[in-house]
Amino acid sequence: MDRAAIRTRLLEIVGPDGLLDDPDELLVYEYDASDEVFAGHHRPDFTVLPRTAEQVSAVVRLANEVGLPVIPRGAGTGLAGGALALRGGILIVLTRMNRILEVNERDGYAIVEPGVINLELSTALQPRGYFFAPDPASQRACTIGGNVGNNSGGPHCLKYGVTTNHILGLEVVLPDGERIWTGGPVPETPGVDLTGVLVGSEGTLGIVTKVMVRLTRLPEGVSVLLAAFPDIESASHATSAIIAAGVLPAALEMMDQLTIKAVEDAFHAGYPREAGAVLLVELDGLQEIVAENTGRVAELCRQHSAWEVRVARTKEERDLLWLGRKSAFGAMGRLAPNYYLVDTTVPRTKLPATMRRVEELSREYRLSIANVFHAGDGNLHPLVLFDRHRPGEVERVLECTTEILRYCVDVGGTLSGEHGIGFEKRDYMTLVFTTEDLCAMAGLKRSFDPRELFNPEKVLPTGFRCGEVALLRQQALAQRFGLEYV
Amino acid sequence: MTGTTRLAPDTALQRLEELGRSSDPSNYIVDGIPPRLALELASPETVAEALALCAAAGLALVPWGGGGQMGLGNLPERYDVALDLRGLAAVVDYEPDDLTIGVQAGCTLARLAAILSEHGQMLPLDADDPERITIGGLVATGLGCPRRFGYGSLRDLIIGITVALPDGTLARGGGMVVKNVSGYDMMRLHFGALGSLGVIVRANFKLLPSPEAQRTLLVAFPSLEEAMEGALAVRGSQLAPTALVVLAPVTAERFIGMARWTLAARCEGPEGAVLRQAERLRETAASATSDARILEHEETLRFWSSLQGKLGATPLANVMRVRIGELPSQLGELAAQLVTEWGSALEDAVLDVGSGLAYVTVAGTVEELRGAWTRLAGYGRHATMLAAPGDVKAGYDVFGRHPEGVAVMRRLKETFDPERTLNPGRFIALL
Ligand SMILES: Cc1cc2nc3c(=O)[nH]c(=O)nc-3n(C[C@H](O)[C@H](O)[C@H](O)COP(=O)(O)OP(=O)(O)OC[C@H]3O[C@@H](n4cnc5c(N)ncnc54)[C@H](O)[C@@H]3O)c2cc1C
Repeated sequence: MDRAAIRTRLLEIVGPDGLLDDPDELLVYEYDASDEVFAGHHRPDFTVLPRTAEQVSAVVRLANEVGLPVIPRGAGTGLAGGALALRGGILIVLTRMNRILEVNERDGYAIVEPGVINLELSTALQPRGYFFAPDPASQRACTIGGNVGNNSGGPHCLKYGVTTNHILGLEVVLPDGERIWTGGPVPETPGVDLTGVLVGSEGTLGIVTKVMVRLTRLPEGVSVLLAAFPDIESASHATSAIIAAGVLPAALEMMDQLTIKAVEDAFHAGYPREAGAVLLVELDGLQEIVAENTGRVAELCRQHSAWEVRVARTKEERDLLWLGRKSAFGAMGRLAPNYYLVDTTVPRTKLPATMRRVEELSREYRLSIANVFHAGDGNLHPLVLFDRHRPGEVERVLECTTEILRYCVDVGGTLSGEHGIGFEKRDYMTLVFTTEDLCAMAGLKRSFDPRELFNPEKVLPTGFRCGEVALLRQQALAQRFGLEYV
Repeated sequence: MTGTTRLAPDTALQRLEELGRSSDPSNYIVDGIPPRLALELASPETVAEALALCAAAGLALVPWGGGGQMGLGNLPERYDVALDLRGLAAVVDYEPDDLTIGVQAGCTLARLAAILSEHGQMLPLDADDPERITIGGLVATGLGCPRRFGYGSLRDLIIGITVALPDGTLARGGGMVVKNVSGYDMMRLHFGALGSLGVIVRANFKLLPSPEAQRTLLVAFPSLEEAMEGALAVRGSQLAPTALVVLAPVTAERFIGMARWTLAARCEGPEGAVLRQAERLRETAASATSDARILEHEETLRFWSSLQGKLGATPLANVMRVRIGELPSQLGELAAQLVTEWGSALEDAVLDVGSGLAYVTVAGTVEELRGAWTRLAGYGRHATMLAAPGDVKAGYDVFGRHPEGVAVMRRLKETFDPERTLNPGRFIALL
């Protein structure tokens, strides 16, 4: 089918205001929040903005018929290039499907469309005494569908878990266009846990058209502490000590000196400028437990050289302490024209050594690195600062970040804690996984999407051959057991 | 996953015996059927080899943990080899200060709990026979306990997995960190898939600090309606018990000696806070006509572990156990219906109001139980026969009504287990 014919068919499905194919209009859809310097820009053939699940399904059926790739997209705040149209095709943007369809606080769930903004959902739930726990720093912009796609995290995931722990069920359009519901409001639905498999699959297995989320009861008591440390290392040790002591804070975030300065210059959150690092700790739960744990955490911080521990007493004070953390990425513009955000997780006891290594690499590659991250989970976010116009700097940034990833993997960590693999990190997958591991993942992908039309070029690396692996394995077995290979 | 080695079944059985220790097949009966060979294996590599041999010879294999949950599953379509994984029981990777652990599938819950408690840590699971229940069995069946209300289930805590596949490979997913989005979620692919897509040889979990103290508030009510009202009030409060159930009078009598509809709420945390919490829970749940009492720490542990015996899939004779998923606010109506329909045949009924699950155990002849299932299977959001004698299961799918997406599940089965080596017929839709 030629382009004009496809266009006509798409218009029939989504209507004139639901289709973009003018190069100017498509421009914004060539990018997502991943750094263009590294991810490049990629133009989809068409961008559609469906309003219903039926339209999504019809677009997918058409794509199948004409053999075009399909790429789901939410707000495009993803940092791993997950929503880029690497092979062109039809970009399906879900932001117009943005209704909250049902809230049932008695039974603890809500059903929403994928384009609902994360913060809007929690804001809607708040007056009823509930919230949606995953709270990415991008929550003012990112969509629930994108959160599901990337299995996103946020500060409060330390206690409450990441997105997958809060998704009860999904309505999803599969690569053949069929629409199904998975999971449900109560646990232990019989069968393979397709909900669990779909969350975090980065739009490569299906397009989510409705999300059934778990509602979490707002806690009765909340306290927030800010502890100032002489350096990152002592703050890292304090982090390990808090976790090891059996206190489970709702959030435990760290910011280093560079970040503190940038945040103070930009937003005046009242952080101690002289600190080498600060920890922001939120405790919540029953009043009695919060009171007891606040004292314990303050004491543990002091034991690990904190020279100041502030406890926010009111909601206003708490919000002010959080303001600095929440606006940290926004303040980076004060430090350098560009930054590259590395997202990795290490076992928590490896934090101090990892932070030392990051400092070393910063010196070695002559690049400033700011750190603001989810310390309690061991989820680092070194922000490598640079200027893309300075010759050779982009290459140095890439080498430096590769070294950071390599180190994290070597100490038992992983490639991404919450931002996803997408396009950005797929070729690092072999650092963590063997060919056998990857072949099993490829088997999963194939079971959903045999034609590889769904968000191609994402998650799995290029250039590994499962057929060959299986063959070698069979031959080895045949030899070991003296069998004849057919 | 391509290429085949064709092998005569008898040759394969011989080779299999070379891989490990054979054991008495009569100890590995599934729904009345013994295997031709029972094999104890002690390394992940030999498990993978055994799978490849079975696949090449068209033999059907059933992974075996402690056998404690073998009630769950359809009648086996074929059953040649029982793979006993209890020799695969090492704690591979435990760094207490990371609050993570990697264990082999055959490790029992009792052993794991003992190791963790030395460091004041735990997995929030209960079992009435922890010596028998293995980690692999828990992951494969995906059966949880009421503490999911406070802590999430094992599904929420699993962070890594290694499975042996019928193509002879070992494949890992996830890792040893608590937050990880690198690659597909292979943990949840296998969680609850009854070993139909791979044999779990290792699983990694995030751990929780053990609470300093525990108490259970028990409130006995004159009627089901009042008990449910109390339970829903607790659910809607900010009092955060870690488990919340309502027991039918028969069950309450069995466990606590009061034959009334009884609410049980579990409190875990620092000593002082827990006492206060139990007190506040009582104020929220109790009514003028109810009687409340509080179980001490040790009693609490005993109560919940023995109660778990009524929520699991231990093979059963003469009775059938069914798990029904239903909205917490609808559980009362469901229970009322069960009482009307089965009355004195109801051996036990536990409503997990925290989660939205009802567990009923019904007594009767094979014919009566088969009749009961045809009706129970239609109840609630989903219904599963957790355990029953083989004669009761015959001709039915114990997983009840099929959810949407069975076609995808079938394709997954065809991809990962093309020769139908693993637990053939036992999983949903006779996969
Ligand atoms: C300043 C900033 C701060 C951030 N902070 C955090 C943070 O704290 N924690 C965190 O985890 N992430 C963070 N992110 C990353 C990003 O915001 C999250 O990954 C977010 O969940 C993406 O949502 P989105 O709607 O923008 O999705 P997109 O970027 O549009 O898409 C993300 C992925 O999901 C897929 N997808 C989108 N919608 C659907 C759907 N309906 N069905 C199937 N697949 C779909 C896409 O194909 C893509 O692979 C941050 C990003 C920025 C720019």
